Amino acid sequence: MPDRPALLTRLRPRGAVWLAAPAVAVLLLVLAYPLAIVVWRSFTDPALGIDNYVWFFQSAVNRTVLQRTFIVAGWVTLASLVCAYPYAYAMTIAGRNMRLALILCVLVPFWLSGVVRTLAWVILLQDSGVINSMLRGLGLSPVKLIRTLPGVVIGMTQVLLPFMILPIYSVMKGIDTRLLQAARSLGAKPWRAFLQIYVPLSLPGVYAGVIIVFILSLGFYITPALLGGPRSTMLSSLVQNQVLSLLNWGRGGAMGVVLLVATFVLLAMAAPLMRQKHSAARREA
Amino acid sequence: MRKFAGAFALTMTCALALPVLAQEKPVAGAVKEGSLKGKTLTFVSYGGIYQDGQAAALQEFVEKSGVTLLNDGPTEIAKLKAQVDAGNVTWDVVDTADLPPYIHCGTLFQKLDFSKLDVSKIPPGQVGECSVPAMNYGVVLMYKNDTYKDNPPKNWQDFLDVEKFPGTRAIDGSGDPIGALIEQGFKATGGDPKTMTADDIEKGIQKLRDLGPDTIYWKTGAESQQLAESGEADMIMMWTGRAMTAVKNGAAYTPVWQDWMVVMDQMTIPVGVKDPDAAYALLNAYLGQRSQEILTEKTSYTPINLDAKPKVDETTAAFLTSTPERIAQGYQQNIPFWVKNFDLASEKWNALLSGN
Repeated sequence: MPDRPALLTRLRPRGAVWLAAPAVAVLLLVLAYPLAIVVWRSFTDPALGIDNYVWFFQSAVNRTVLQRTFIVAGWVTLASLVCAYPYAYAMTIAGRNMRLALILCVLVPFWLSGVVRTLAWVILLQDSGVINSMLRGLGLSPVKLIRTLPGVVIGMTQVLLPFMILPIYSVMKGIDTRLLQAARSLGAKPWRAFLQIYVPLSLPGVYAGVIIVFILSLGFYITPALLGGPRSTMLSSLVQNQVLSLLNWGRGGAMGVVLLVATFVLLAMAAPLMRQKHSAARREA
Repeated sequence: MRKFAGAFALTMTCALALPVLAQEKPVAGAVKEGSLKGKTLTFVSYGGIYQDGQAAALQEFVEKSGVTLLNDGPTEIAKLKAQVDAGNVTWDVVDTADLPPYIHCGTLFQKLDFSKLDVSKIPPGQVGECSVPAMNYGVVLMYKNDTYKDNPPKNWQDFLDVEKFPGTRAIDGSGDPIGALIEQGFKATGGDPKTMTADDIEKGIQKLRDLGPDTIYWKTGAESQQLAESGEADMIMMWTGRAMTAVKNGAAYTPVWQDWMVVMDQMTIPVGVKDPDAAYALLNAYLGQRSQEILTEKTSYTPINLDAKPKVDETTAAFLTSTPERIAQGYQQNIPFWVKNFDLASEKWNALLSGN
């Protein structure tokens, strides 16, 4: 989430600010206000102070699960990127009908509820499931997929894939392919032209996709709960438990704040890198 | 003369008061005609077949009393806390899990006034200070016929013994710590659950951890049923309702009834409801014999009125927990112990469920 003041000053014409007013009002009401309450509670419930944060970091369970949450989000982001990049590229070079089919393939699962898709993965991945039955049928030994980290990553990647494909595609669509021809005519090999011209130009889409997928992964709840086992529990499950079962709203709030701050820190670290790459790409183009 | 007048007045008062008292003594299931006309009650439970069955059980109450009954749900103690904290309680009668009415008695749930309820037909030992049972069910050990054939497990101790009984276990990981299972774990270490202390909780949980990394902790009843129907696990800890449905759907599993764990849902009235008397009237109607028969016929859960004689099919009857034989085999967790140590047990249970 970009800092709002900077965003507002960038909108030069005064009147334009008011165009954003409805959205800002909604955000203040449904995002900023509840978030403020969560932060407030984390420091005041049950008593004023940082007890909830001390509790969070003293618990080995919390530390392990926090770390694991970021690791899972990292793997999911990587897996999504590896799947999405060639797919988005294929969408840009395909003919009209083929492109339509490819877009449908992305969007149709997107319209299905995440729970339904996750349950479908249960049927595919479980020990007595489709994949393992096929392996057994071929005389191969079955693999443990469900209730493992890879199982969770597979399921989450499929659910989140559209969030990676669409931003990358929207940027790739605007890349002038004549630049590649120009590079080729200047003697670049196809791969070199692709890597040095095309890939840098597509990076803004990649960054957008990476950030969206990474952040969405951090808060995933249903998919890890159904596809994962104890060793792939993510932080959202622990938050849920504190808030709904133990009624420790202060602790639940503190967990949310820790996750939020950790995410901000990570994004802040990645931001300069991205800006640099981005402007470099523009210069080269 | 004055003395006589005094005595006369006293006698008359008593004579007048007695029938009033007798009339007010509630009878489970009895509903006063038109008594709640124009009033609205919100009943909160867990949805699905269960709440539909409860609504059916309350149908007569609604028709006779003239109340408008709204159904809401699912029950979330956090939502109730928000209502109580804000002083705006819109849930009038709430169906909860086993322990919450004991943990939040007097803070979120009202201490019940038992002059307004007829609890005489409820199975013994199930009425709490802040709750009456909503229904009974059990947690049974279901084993896969193929895996164990002639040498099946006979109780929870066999469930916890992976050397004598190899195979994948599936445990209820849907929410709060399962006190009865931790007690069984402690027993397996050679301890006596009756004299368990807070320090022993970890020992019991360690026994569960020792079942190995392949142990499945299912999150929903539907998931446990799916595990049984696809044959994923060799021994599954299951709610009787789910076990029955799985068997009806063809799961080749057999229940072990020795030490089946007694579980109940609770009926409660939150602190701060606008019309407590109307809420009591609903509870009292719900406890009636006919209501409980309807509930069981619609949901297959065990009724909590001892007079109830529901008409059910053979498989459902096999999973009812109210027969004398079943009652003798049941295992009741130490509720006061788990209420007292709820936070500690939750913390350790969560650690187990998050792979720590």
